[in-house]
Amino acid sequence: MNTIIQNILVVIAIILALGFFIKKLFLKNQKSKKECGGGDNCGCH
Amino acid sequence: MSKQINVALIGNPNTGKTSVFNALTGLNQKVGNYPGITVEKKEGVCKLPRGVKAHIIDLPGTYSLNASSLDENVVIELLLNKNDKDFPDLAVVVSDVENLKRNLLLYTQIKDLEIPTILVINMADRMAYKGISLDLEYLETHLKTKIALVSTRKNQGIDKLKNLISNYKDLSISHCIDLSEIDPAYFKNLQSAFPNQLIYKLWLVITQDVNFGKTDRNEIDAVANFKTKSKNDLKRLQQKETIKRYQFINDVLKKGQTIDVANAKDLRMRLDRVITHKIWGYAIFFIILLTIFQAIYDWSSVPMDFIDTTFAAFSEWTKNQLPNGAFTNLLTEGIIPGLGGIVIFIPQIAFLFLFISVLEESGYMSRVVFLMDRLMRRFGLSGKSIVPLISGTACAIPAIMATRNIENWKERLITILVTPFITCSARLPVYLIIISLVIPEGRFIGLSYQALTLMFLYLLGFGTAVLSAYILNKVLKIKSKTFFVVEMPNYKLPLLKNVALTVLEKTKSFVFGAGKIILAISIILWFLASFGPGENFNNAEEITKKAYSTENLTSEELQQKIASHKLEHSFIGIIGQAIEPAISPLGYDWKIGIAIISSFAAREVFVGTLATIYSVGNDDEDTIKNRMAGEVNPILGGPLFNFASGISLLLFYAFAMQCMSTLAVVKRETNTWKWPVLQLIIMSVFAYIVALIAFQLLK
Ligand SMILES: Nc1nc2c(ncn2[C@@H]2O[C@H](COP(=O)(O)OP(=O)(O)O)[C@@H](O)[C@H]2O)c(=O)[nH]1
Ligand SMILES: [Mg+2]
Repeated sequence: MNTIIQNILVVIAIILALGFFIKKLFLKNQKSKKECGGGDNCGCH
Repeated sequence: MSKQINVALIGNPNTGKTSVFNALTGLNQKVGNYPGITVEKKEGVCKLPRGVKAHIIDLPGTYSLNASSLDENVVIELLLNKNDKDFPDLAVVVSDVENLKRNLLLYTQIKDLEIPTILVINMADRMAYKGISLDLEYLETHLKTKIALVSTRKNQGIDKLKNLISNYKDLSISHCIDLSEIDPAYFKNLQSAFPNQLIYKLWLVITQDVNFGKTDRNEIDAVANFKTKSKNDLKRLQQKETIKRYQFINDVLKKGQTIDVANAKDLRMRLDRVITHKIWGYAIFFIILLTIFQAIYDWSSVPMDFIDTTFAAFSEWTKNQLPNGAFTNLLTEGIIPGLGGIVIFIPQIAFLFLFISVLEESGYMSRVVFLMDRLMRRFGLSGKSIVPLISGTACAIPAIMATRNIENWKERLITILVTPFITCSARLPVYLIIISLVIPEGRFIGLSYQALTLMFLYLLGFGTAVLSAYILNKVLKIKSKTFFVVEMPNYKLPLLKNVALTVLEKTKSFVFGAGKIILAISIILWFLASFGPGENFNNAEEITKKAYSTENLTSEELQQKIASHKLEHSFIGIIGQAIEPAISPLGYDWKIGIAIISSFAAREVFVGTLATIYSVGNDDEDTIKNRMAGEVNPILGGPLFNFASGISLLLFYAFAMQCMSTLAVVKRETNTWKWPVLQLIIMSVFAYIVALIAFQLLK
């Protein structure tokens, strides 16, 4: 693996991580209104 | 064409409604909420013979149609509202063969609503053991229904139940009792005023404080004004009604049910006497808790050490296998240590839930509820608050939702407000790592100091919760009436399957729920710690070399200096130093500050964050613990994590309201921002002050 590929992979990882947070914040707001049944997975963590 | 039958499962809590529901619907089910309120709604579809389908709702557990909780309101509102799309064509009342007498009260009430009703007598597998036998034919005749004797545990009687459901048109809808007998003149009057309405329905509208907004309003409103009796008289009539129902039930059961007492009860009663004893009960509970915490420590230390060293070795290995570069660094300094910071807690979390679910399954937890009621009352809580408080050890969110079965609003609100003090599983990793760093390893009469500290922290959380409840009880001016009904299920050997499932599910939700966030945060943190703006970061090497040019450093020491200079001037270093003045009086450096901030997303991120920050630029791959132990306090010198700062950090985490999701749930359950905002401010300020005092006293 040369440096360029490594850098590209890093950028992808960072974009994924940021995307995950944006999605998480966005989805959470929707979810809590709709179908949060009280399971442990709901809204927690 | 196939048509759909609406079926409602109704019954007292713990009679096995959900089990029957699962047996009928299998995987064809979904869980939602009743609109506007947070009571859980479970519905599913069951295929019956001849292509008929039944739409089945698992209603919340209800003791009677005299509403005293949100859950019960849901049931009453549905049964009174013919226009509701879920209005049942058929009610299936689920009862428990061991508690038939109490369970049948609700049954007679449903019958009075003239809804076709099937009686399920569940837990048939317990009959032989308890010496109970039933004359089903007699019962069917006198209760005017069809009965399905079911054991969901042994999977018996479900086919018969399906058959009865598909033939629901054959069911009788006549009443079990004649309500008007309790005051003939009054009821005659009432009926002639509203000739088209069911007498029992009218009676419910008059006597219950339910929100009848959804029922056919005009008629009902008119009824509510039909109060020709004083409140006291109505109360008296209600009592008469209940007595009448029980008389009927007693008469029927006298012939329909025989119990060979010699066969049963004895062991249970003797056990109960000890376990709920005024002194022994508490002593036993305390000993059980001690054992649990000791076991959590002793049993999980081996797998934890194994996981810690494995991750360190894995990181090292990866570094050697891959060529040097940014991505390799991301893996070995960001992702792998971050993941290690979560996997390492699996053993302890699994053990904690193993114990909790064994206590629940065995029936012991209900005795604790009963036992605690005596104590909790004094603090403005209900015995039922113990369930949220104990589930709070998993996560405050389900715990706050579990407050819904507390009937009294004030007790419920107080429970909601104090539950976040309970040590949740997200705090556990923080406690564990700090304890292992700052508490010595010795033992005190066989109990390790570390286990005792952990137990102390759990007790501290519990004690603070109870104490704040006491204060809230004095401060809050809310009037509401008090009830206490507690279920005492039989002692059972815990079902291995149930226990295993709970442990698996909780652990999974911890690892995957938190794992994703931690992974994402460690990537971002790694980036923020590995890059920085301006001269100071980019020319770190020259600057450091110049600064130490007079000293005779080995190249290793020099690398170390360069790395820490870089970290200090990286993005994260800049953010961290901005907040350092606020937290250095507590004994924390800016790295801990970053960890505290990032853990507002989820507390368990704390350890992963530190693991990531400390490993950036650090060449020797070491365990998380060793790395933290090696940190030096920038101002005072000496180890950063010493007794004073460790205790201060433990106390900070014990008291701070550091969880966005919990705030959101409190807002939802209380329907206003007032409570979550107050909670956030008061808890954070309190945490800061306590941590400050602790550090200043101990340092
Ligand atoms: N012995 C026995 N226990 C049962 C049976 N059905 C359910 N249970 C147990 O009764 C308890 C309450 O069951 P659940 O379905 O949650 O009741 P719900 O509160 O009415 O929904 C659980 O511990 C079940 O394992 C049965 O047929 N026999
Ligand atoms: Mg249930």
